[in-house]
Amino acid sequence: MSATCLLNNTPDADIVAEFEPRIIGFLCNWCSYAGADKAGSSQTPYPPNVSIIKVMCTGRIDPQFVMKAFNEGADGVIVLACHPGDCHYKEGNLRAAQRHAMLIRVLEQMGIEGKRCRFDYVSAGEGEKYVQVITEMVATVKQLGKLSLID
Amino acid sequence: MKIGVYFCNCGTNIADRIDGGKVREYLEPSGRMSYFKTCPFLCSEDGKVFLEQDLKDEKPDRIVIAACSPREHEATFMRVMGQAGMNPYLMQMVNIREQIAWVTEDPEKAVKKTSVAINAALKRVELHEMLEKQELEVSPAVLVIGAGPAGLKAALTLAEAGRRVTLVEKSPVIGGLPVLFEELFPNMECGPCMLEPVMAEILHGEHAENIELLTMAELTEVAGYFGNFEVKIRQRPRYVDIHQCIGCGECFEPCPVSGTNPFNNDMDEKKAIGFTFMGALPNAPYLDPTLCTRFTEGSDCSACSAACPMGEGVIVFDDQEQIIERQVGSIILATGSTLYDCSRFDNLGYGRLPDVKTALEFERILASNGPTAGEVVTSTGEQPGSVAFIHCVGSLDDDHKPYCSGICCQYAFKYNHLLESKLTDTKILHLYKEIVSPGKEEYALHRAARDNHNATFIRYDRISDLAVTGENDGQKIRLPDGNSINADMVVLCPAVVPTADTEKLGAMLDVSLDRFGFFEELHGRMDSARSKIRGVYLSGACQAPADIQKATSQGMAASGFILSELVEGRKIELDPLFASVYPEKCAGCKVCMRVCPYRAIHFDEENSVSVVNGVLCHGCGTCVAACPMGAIKANHFTNEMILAEIEGALK
Repeated sequence: MSATCLLNNTPDADIVAEFEPRIIGFLCNWCSYAGADKAGSSQTPYPPNVSIIKVMCTGRIDPQFVMKAFNEGADGVIVLACHPGDCHYKEGNLRAAQRHAMLIRVLEQMGIEGKRCRFDYVSAGEGEKYVQVITEMVATVKQLGKLSLID
Repeated sequence: MKIGVYFCNCGTNIADRIDGGKVREYLEPSGRMSYFKTCPFLCSEDGKVFLEQDLKDEKPDRIVIAACSPREHEATFMRVMGQAGMNPYLMQMVNIREQIAWVTEDPEKAVKKTSVAINAALKRVELHEMLEKQELEVSPAVLVIGAGPAGLKAALTLAEAGRRVTLVEKSPVIGGLPVLFEELFPNMECGPCMLEPVMAEILHGEHAENIELLTMAELTEVAGYFGNFEVKIRQRPRYVDIHQCIGCGECFEPCPVSGTNPFNNDMDEKKAIGFTFMGALPNAPYLDPTLCTRFTEGSDCSACSAACPMGEGVIVFDDQEQIIERQVGSIILATGSTLYDCSRFDNLGYGRLPDVKTALEFERILASNGPTAGEVVTSTGEQPGSVAFIHCVGSLDDDHKPYCSGICCQYAFKYNHLLESKLTDTKILHLYKEIVSPGKEEYALHRAARDNHNATFIRYDRISDLAVTGENDGQKIRLPDGNSINADMVVLCPAVVPTADTEKLGAMLDVSLDRFGFFEELHGRMDSARSKIRGVYLSGACQAPADIQKATSQGMAASGFILSELVEGRKIELDPLFASVYPEKCAGCKVCMRVCPYRAIHFDEENSVSVVNGVLCHGCGTCVAACPMGAIKANHFTNEMILAEIEGALK
């Protein structure tokens, strides 16, 4: 993927309606993954578009993982961390937030809308927030349409 | 490579929503999967027996288990793998219950999502490596810093279990703050009497030989990590041989110089050689070189030594500072708390008006071994006709300390009770923001204060609503409503804050501080006796304002952790999920050292490479993502594994 990538959206409303985006979700082992489990325990349905990749800490997320996801055909990426101050590893979530802020700028330079890469905080108890964040993310990416990267 | 997939139906939990047969059809064409087996309940006894036998029969190289959340049963299945002779890290679990079956309405979409997730796991697990738990020899000895109620109870608990304890106390006496208090809330027990049995056990009890008490000592250096700390302790000279001295006090009288006594908040004087207070333990005086003329003037005075009935050599004028090195497996911080500086409140007159006292000063005034021998008198030597207690000074205050200090109401009501019995006619005023007295015994003192017809309660909002000014015959306090009231004595109940050395100790041990400056616990509720640094434990008021009950409980809790985590003769197991540096790739930029939250990385100067200490590493992987050379590997979460998983989830 080079910096000259262009975006090829499909503006047709009918196609947009059928479009099921593929989203990669990076979740930390301690808070957000547990939050996703919590959402499961309450059995609230949410869109099935997010494939979860568990890491021990969001501080582990290398920007190349996000790039790889887009390169392999993901239409969106979501990173969910522990709330500030709650990180199991003290501050890995804040490192992730910093990296995300930089990454967004790089992505936009490459023609990938910043909204396709969302960063948020979900605690182990926030099952409802998890459902809300995932639902919003899927809606956002549906609206943005399929991401096509042209080399 | 032979990779088996085990699909758990979880009764109907999974099977009702996800058709295992369709998942199998979906996955088969990729050829990654060698076999696919379903089981009704993989975590049940039958399920585990099946899995173990099947692993023995099939002898797969890797397995994927699609079942509940790994938070539920990953450890269970890893144990079964171990029993079947398979390395437990050669498995990847896929959470198809919480994260798919229970949340996906459309069965077709559930099958697809499951297949994608298993496909990602298949790609990832191919790259899994055999990992082994490493074992490490450890020292069962413990360093306890601070000999207040928390440190004393911790040291004693550990010593009783046969552990070697080095108990380091900064001051010449043990017992912490409460040993200075005549009586204690909630039951008006005598402070020294309550602590003395514990202190006697520490000094002379059955297990005292396990405790090395170092008074006038401070931790100066720490190296190493959980299980193997190397510590250096600096002990200031006492100039008195604690083992020969019988504590008779004959040396005080002949001493020609005096100075203010810091243990009575400088409210009276003591000789250059003396006890901090009568009854102080260890039962030996100390010599203050800032007062003794041998040190201040270079004199050859030896009046104290000449008066010693035990002969020469008990007072050691050439006593030297010592650096004591010890090896310990764990460290308990029990450094206690102090009071917020009341001179920050100009409107309260503290430091300017002689009869505005802090709670600590008032405790000493009440104490029979204090500066007034327990008589409550003002600076002019008269009994006060009125005493005002200002609660919440600096507490519940966003400009100072936003928290409730928790203990002040209790001791203020204790003062109320003591004043009532000592000076029956004295008027008492309580100025407060909030009153808290929860607990099965704590309300009694509060109610007694409320029932005292000499006591008045007035609530205020902000400390700036009050103003204490000096009058000819005492103090005048301006109240929030604009009226004024006279008080012969004003006692401030300040916020409880960490001691001055908390920050320095925190930096030395890399133990983080919370936003109030207290040592930060691993978890505020579930793990409040542990710091975030493995092997460093927290007890008492160094972690949050605490009363004696909480302090001693935490001291014992920390001891409990140590007794279960570091068992004599048992090696500690290291979780293999730590990071390691490929030295040939490391450029020596040290970025990893800056991002590591645990100081687990040091720099090998000789080879100019970073080295991760597997004991200290918690396996978060922050350094791995930060390394610009890709020179750090996170076990079980390598770049290759995660990239393969991403690929598998998208292709």
